[in-house]
Amino acid sequence: MRPLAQVLEGRKVICCVGSGGVGKTTVAAALALSAAIEGKRALVLTIDPARRLANSLGLKELGNQETRIAPELFAQAGLHPRGEMWAMMLDLKLTWDELVERQARSPEQARAILTNKLYQTLSTAMAGSLEYMAMEKVYEVHTARRFDVVVLDTPPTTNALDFLHASDRILDVLDNDAMRIILGPMLRAGKLWFKLLAAPSAMVLRTLARFTGTDFLRDLADFMIAFEGMYEGFKERAARVKALLTSPEAGFVLVTAPNPLTIQEALFFHQALREDRIATAAVVVNRVQRDPRRHGGPDNVAAMREALMLAQIKDSGDLAERLCTTLTEQSMLADLERREVERLSRTLSGVPLLIVPRLRKDVHDLSGLWQIDQFLGGQ
Amino acid sequence: MDALLDRRLLVVTGKGGTGKSTLSAALALLASRRGKKVLVCEVVARERVSDFFGRPPSGPTIRQLLPNLYSVHVRPREAMHEYALMILRYETLYKLAFENAAARYFLAAAPSLAEIVMLGKVWWHATQEMERGKPRWDLVVLDAPATGHGLTFLSVPAVFLRLVKEGPLARDMRGMQSLLADPVRCAISIVTLPEEMPANEAIELDRALRSGGFPPGPLFLNGFFASRFSAQEVAQVTRGGPALAAAGEAADNHESRSELSAHYEGVLRKEIPRELLRVPFLFDRQFGAQSIEKVASAIAGSS
Repeated sequence: MRPLAQVLEGRKVICCVGSGGVGKTTVAAALALSAAIEGKRALVLTIDPARRLANSLGLKELGNQETRIAPELFAQAGLHPRGEMWAMMLDLKLTWDELVERQARSPEQARAILTNKLYQTLSTAMAGSLEYMAMEKVYEVHTARRFDVVVLDTPPTTNALDFLHASDRILDVLDNDAMRIILGPMLRAGKLWFKLLAAPSAMVLRTLARFTGTDFLRDLADFMIAFEGMYEGFKERAARVKALLTSPEAGFVLVTAPNPLTIQEALFFHQALREDRIATAAVVVNRVQRDPRRHGGPDNVAAMREALMLAQIKDSGDLAERLCTTLTEQSMLADLERREVERLSRTLSGVPLLIVPRLRKDVHDLSGLWQIDQFLGGQ
Repeated sequence: MDALLDRRLLVVTGKGGTGKSTLSAALALLASRRGKKVLVCEVVARERVSDFFGRPPSGPTIRQLLPNLYSVHVRPREAMHEYALMILRYETLYKLAFENAAARYFLAAAPSLAEIVMLGKVWWHATQEMERGKPRWDLVVLDAPATGHGLTFLSVPAVFLRLVKEGPLARDMRGMQSLLADPVRCAISIVTLPEEMPANEAIELDRALRSGGFPPGPLFLNGFFASRFSAQEVAQVTRGGPALAAAGEAADNHESRSELSAHYEGVLRKEIPRELLRVPFLFDRQFGAQSIEKVASAIAGSS
């Protein structure tokens, strides 16, 4: 079986993970395209795509809208998918709002939360919020059964563990006993809370207020009151999201660049997945320099001069030197990257390793994505 | 470059993976060579600068890397302790308020508390004086968090002062705010790459920084490929037969990357009203002191 088909086989959710700037969005879109070509109804859910790619796919920027990639675009790229490719850009705030509305026990409770000042900051600014909502959205789309496969392009996570545990961490903040104790006076005192700040027992609160301002503490208390009784529902749902992501229906694809730092990140991620008993479905090493010397040819300046002469190319100056320098540079880079890939492959024994060479042009449309699919397919 | 290095605080920011730590180290190296006593503050998750100079990680204590060049890794937990203690003055009060189970969650819930204490510590270094008004550090280089986060980071004083107007912390934040707005003492630089996403982010970051009133430092275009072959040369060599297949491919690769570099340089020059300094792509087997040396001479030479 071709490596790419192996990755897609039987999977309903694919998460592309890795550090920023390695081409996760492109790989995620290429995977969705491949599935569409094979006859599936595929959705790529992306966080922050490059503008040119988004434009060329006709993606809308806001509102969590599932957009079908127009059949004309495929025809223009000479592609004839048997299935459909859809794309959606995650709207962080809207996904939170929808989740709150779904989980609230009454429309009043939903309104109280949605209009809370702190909710507006917390929902978008808290570390891990994007990761949490990305997983939530995947779950929602998956359970609606509108697509055969959903490919998630995850946010650039610096810490691998942040991704899988984002929901735990956020829900812990929302429902934390220690915080309740500290904010206790505020939670109980209603509108008279400010008098309590003078009381000796509120010293911890007073101290914290020096760093955050009392308004923040008031907002926090309000928020906790508004959120009352919703934690269980949130937790239960987050647990179901995690169960889906750790099931055989889901697969994680690690995307990395061939440099030591990002490879290290990928290995950390692989380890983190293992600790959560999740198998890595594949590793994609993107933009690998190919060694031009694989074609052979002259390897020193004198031989290069001779080759140029034989080909009747006039070397008016230092063309031979410049060519040799360029060859040496690229060969060395290719060699460095090959070592990195080998190191990766040794550590990840058994996981399919897919190599995408550095292409001459940036990938920003369907034909570029299809070119990547050809490499992912092991050709 | 001289004027830039005469500042008290240089902030280096940009998208993740563009080379902020590299540029921070190179700027610090240049300044240290000019006889300045320099401290590099790294506030991101993993420290890099000490490693560039073949030194063990500095961690939360200031360590010397080279003559006149020092670094420190500013982490939220230690910064919180140090800085909060400076404000609160009493260890017991600190312990009561911050070292309990709630504080951890509190840190996570108060979106800018970690930034407040980290920036507070950097500011403290930048303005710290020894006797008779002589500054402890001539220059502090801040290797700032990546774009979105970096902007949040620098806006912390303004956001905080909207919430809290009195007390020692507000006073410090006012000091930070005025340092971060002072073109004589401070400059904020952006690092980017000749690629679509980093270039777009640099453009957005520049706009946000300018509208926030932050004094602009240079824009560093890292990973730059200068053109080396004419179009005719590439065409001839590529069609030169099997003996020149490798050379042709290499020349074509090089020129396709130099075209991208030139394209994004044009876009950036048009969109970003800052001095643009090119930093060449480095073909180094080991990324270390020599690489930083090359970057330093590239930016010293191009100004």
